[in-house]
Amino acid sequence: MEKITVKVRETARQAFSSGEVDKILGFAKGDFWQDSYPIFITNENEVDSLIWDSFCINNLSKYLIKELKNTQKIGVFLKGCDSLAFNQLLQDNRIEADRVVIYGVPCVGMIDAEKVKKEGLNKGLLEVKRSGDEISFVTKDGDKNVSGRQFDYDKCLECNHPNPVVYKELMRDEVSREVNKEERFKDVEEIEAMSAEERFSYWSQQFSKCIRCNACRNICPACSCETCVFDNAAAGVSDKAKVDSEDQFFHIIRAYHVAGRCVNCGECSRVCPAGIPLHKLNHKIIKDINELYGEYEAGLDPSKGAPLVTYKLEDIDPFEGHKGGK
Amino acid sequence: MKKVAKNKFSQLWNSINKDYELFLPIEKDGKVNFSLWKDEDKINLDAIKTNVSPKNIIFPQSETYLKFKTDGKKLSLENVGGKKEEYVLFGVRPCDAVSFNLIDNVFLREPIDRFYEERRNKGTVVSMACLEPEETCFCSSFGIEPETAPKGVDVFTWDIGQTILWEAQTEKGNILTEKLGDIFEEVTEQDINELEKLKHSIKDKVSSLPLSDVDPKKIDGDLKDIFESEVWDEISKSCLGCGSCTYVCPTCHCYDIQDFDGGKCGERFRCWDSCMFSDFTRMAHGNPRTSQKERFRQRFMHKLVYYPNNHQVYACVGCGRCIEKCPVNMNIVKVIKKLGGEK
Amino acid sequence: MSLESKEDAMVNKDEFKPLIVAFCCNWCSYAGADLAGTSRLNYPANVRIIRVPCSCRVNPNFVLHAFQRGADGVVIAGCHPGDCHYSTGNYYTRRRFTLFSNLLDYIGIEKDRFKVDWISAAEANKFATVMNDVLEKVHKLGPNRKLRDARWKR
Repeated sequence: MEKITVKVRETARQAFSSGEVDKILGFAKGDFWQDSYPIFITNENEVDSLIWDSFCINNLSKYLIKELKNTQKIGVFLKGCDSLAFNQLLQDNRIEADRVVIYGVPCVGMIDAEKVKKEGLNKGLLEVKRSGDEISFVTKDGDKNVSGRQFDYDKCLECNHPNPVVYKELMRDEVSREVNKEERFKDVEEIEAMSAEERFSYWSQQFSKCIRCNACRNICPACSCETCVFDNAAAGVSDKAKVDSEDQFFHIIRAYHVAGRCVNCGECSRVCPAGIPLHKLNHKIIKDINELYGEYEAGLDPSKGAPLVTYKLEDIDPFEGHKGGK
Repeated sequence: MKKVAKNKFSQLWNSINKDYELFLPIEKDGKVNFSLWKDEDKINLDAIKTNVSPKNIIFPQSETYLKFKTDGKKLSLENVGGKKEEYVLFGVRPCDAVSFNLIDNVFLREPIDRFYEERRNKGTVVSMACLEPEETCFCSSFGIEPETAPKGVDVFTWDIGQTILWEAQTEKGNILTEKLGDIFEEVTEQDINELEKLKHSIKDKVSSLPLSDVDPKKIDGDLKDIFESEVWDEISKSCLGCGSCTYVCPTCHCYDIQDFDGGKCGERFRCWDSCMFSDFTRMAHGNPRTSQKERFRQRFMHKLVYYPNNHQVYACVGCGRCIEKCPVNMNIVKVIKKLGGEK
Repeated sequence: MSLESKEDAMVNKDEFKPLIVAFCCNWCSYAGADLAGTSRLNYPANVRIIRVPCSCRVNPNFVLHAFQRGADGVVIAGCHPGDCHYSTGNYYTRRRFTLFSNLLDYIGIEKDRFKVDWISAAEANKFATVMNDVLEKVHKLGPNRKLRDARWKR
């Protein structure tokens, strides 16, 4: 059993026995090698179902809003990206900090099952073990060892925060990763370099793949409205027809609604059943905010105001250009 | 039974396209989905599962069926909707083909849904056997054999290497076969032997799949017991209520009817809806299922208890798409096993 | 009988009459528009003005809805920053629509179709100039097909 799993179970056991928490949000293992799913345990006896491996991709902060409604104190295992989301929820006043105990898990990256399947390494695969960037595929017919990050999610390759930014205790040593600041917005710049027609053609083609399943919205930690504007018939925007303009409307407005609060976790793109690169929309807004209003990273400092609910008198004014007559 | 060489596929598509619209599994941006075939498309007949199920062809995501316009005091209405052209749906796997029957059970009973009926009647379904079932497949748990033709398909095909074997199952299938005429060759003794070997190999692969022990018939207890079970509290916890499962599922068929308000003109359309959504089945007093647990329970009770009670068959075909697409790795297999449905 | 017997009348560019939707804040730009009217300044008739209490009342939804329902251009006019009737409203407008117009540009909507400007109650000339400018640019770009709801008949 991996060291991290032992530590996770130990921590959970300790937390329950000391009465520090009433419920713990963590991960358990399902039938398949890639199936690590969120579980909610309430007593010491269930602690042995907890695990931690390279497939614990879900952001457990998302569940805090609902769970805190009927549980007094909750313990939760969070990665770096998850902890940013936690801070963002604090900033949005959706949860109370003193009712949550965070067990931080520094993360070297999560493995994308699709990339494993593409290489055909899923045949007879039983388990995937990882230590740093050394990955071991344990199959029925022996192990295959691989070195490197070629199976990580694309979003993990661009991660700025492998270590949790807020926690009570860490489950293992911090991870140090180089972050290439120059290349950060390369994907956005690629699209910006296209002409307006090319851009529209690219995006309308992407949006036409949308099946309006709302997975992106429901997995997003920044999307936490009690009643989403798209579920509210009275708001007049919830048209479910499969029409281009409606799909475009949904994505443009959703990207705008999370502007300044998106923590760049990339979950929206991961869960999209149609494979739309939604993070490129949010990434563009983050780039703009950095350029226009100063470097800002949502979730890093909950005491700082979000860019769209604050202002400065000296803000850049791109609309001042028009010199009309007096 | 006839056969056609795979290197004649281009000719086959063009031939079909002369008299029918042709829907094939087409690969775009790395995902394979059934869409209307155009010459330059990249066809992928090897992918076992399309990304989203083909139910979109017989039951479109949104379908306008009434247009209206006011002109002063005059109101004009126009019936639209349904399908005028005949079409061929080529490459449907047995699980998806069986799902069509399951939706038929609902829409082709009195009162018959005339748009759906028209779409089904205009369509010729050509199904293909699954050579390499994936580890998330469990169609055998619902009595589906991916090496044999399920009930209701018009033509069934098998890929035996350089050629595919083609066998019409219904009158519609015969008509299509005749229309395609001399693209077919006669089947030889060797081909039949290959086919038998293939069928055996598929059967073996299916029985050794990791989910072959899923058995919904083992879910015990009557409706009230299962409904009140404490299991639902636990398994619904992680559900985000997104609706991915319902939209990729081949058997989910709930829909909403909405109006598009265009000022002086408008349209009435029906569109897919999901029981996972918080505004699903909302009525004048509100939503009768206010918690995600109730909505989650509803979906699986429908598939595993209510529908079988009404139609004597489970409303799941074991395709495994929900296993792959759920953002939090919840799926019907976990529900069935938690309810006791394991051999 | 088909309800769509009229063909899309936008074929001939000379006949193209753009539809501009202008959200004007009640205290400054709307008054400015009024002044332009009473001063008999020429500004195009196909600008439809929607009065809002403050430019920050405008939700990006409205802008997209306007494009969906056939607008060829959208303008938001508010008080000059520092002069908002509600003190701080237009500061938020400024941030919000800077980001939003960049986002629209990123999606591929031509920059000239969506304009934000600060027009005070005394600047009747500016109002007329801005509207004429926008109209000219939109006319050059032609009818807007992007973001347009195909079901909407104009």
